[in-house]
Amino acid sequence: MDNREENILNSLTGLQKAGAPDFFYTRLLGRMQNENAPQQKQYFLLKPLFVGAVLFLVLMINVFSIVQFNKTPEQNATVHSAGPASLQSFADAYNLNTGSVYE
Amino acid sequence: MTEQELLYGLRNGEELAFKELVNQFQNKVFNVSLGLLQQHADAEDIAQEVFIQVYRSIKNFKEEARLSTWIYKITVTKCLDHLRSKKRKKRFGFISSLFGSDNTPLYEPEEFNHPGVQLDKKEDAKILFKLVEELPENQRTAFILNKVEELGYREIAAILNVSEPAVDALLQRAKQNLRKKINELPP
Repeated sequence: MDNREENILNSLTGLQKAGAPDFFYTRLLGRMQNENAPQQKQYFLLKPLFVGAVLFLVLMINVFSIVQFNKTPEQNATVHSAGPASLQSFADAYNLNTGSVYE
Repeated sequence: MTEQELLYGLRNGEELAFKELVNQFQNKVFNVSLGLLQQHADAEDIAQEVFIQVYRSIKNFKEEARLSTWIYKITVTKCLDHLRSKKRKKRFGFISSLFGSDNTPLYEPEEFNHPGVQLDKKEDAKILFKLVEELPENQRTAFILNKVEELGYREIAAILNVSEPAVDALLQRAKQNLRKKINELPP
């Protein structure tokens, strides 16, 4: 048993050190270049295409808002013109035109 | 190229200096990584990470220790972090296997054969590496640095930030634990 114990414990005696695999430096450089690549992608916000697209979108929202804003007074006018008539009919239907019981 | 010239070149971002650094230290870094991780692919991966870390943080190296000590320290830290993360994933894999449908383990334990072991000692070394895996982190690291990388107590002490007597104590305890584990093995 002691013999086995010593054999196992001493099994690393005379061990030759392991060497790095072939082309280690080339692979390391490749990895470093790959790791640098995504960092450049982080600046996509500054790309002219992206900036142009955002500006175009903002412009379109503005145009849409202006068009909608111009439409609104016409619609409001219709509501106002129809307003008193519909109010009158509403008042007639519910006998709201009669004054107070005290009048 | 002297260490000072190498450091000067590295701090100025010279590729030639970086290549020289890799040539000087790749075997040391790989050997320690392989000893601690016991997997060729993981060891190469971590060795690459060590050099990337050295390249990025060479300006923070204050020359209080030798360059080799600093690189060994990065290697040990990276290897231990890798082992901890692997252990966490393994634990998580076990938990998910309790709830999941398939019971296949995420990590199949492989038997590790160190390429530098003498042919007649291969079987015993395989057992020893398996048992070393079960040692506490600091004992395992001291054992690998001493037996696989053949570093002296002084350098191990500098790498682990402990005193030389503490390294001796760690190695003694590692051997005691290994003896105990060997005696518990089936005949």
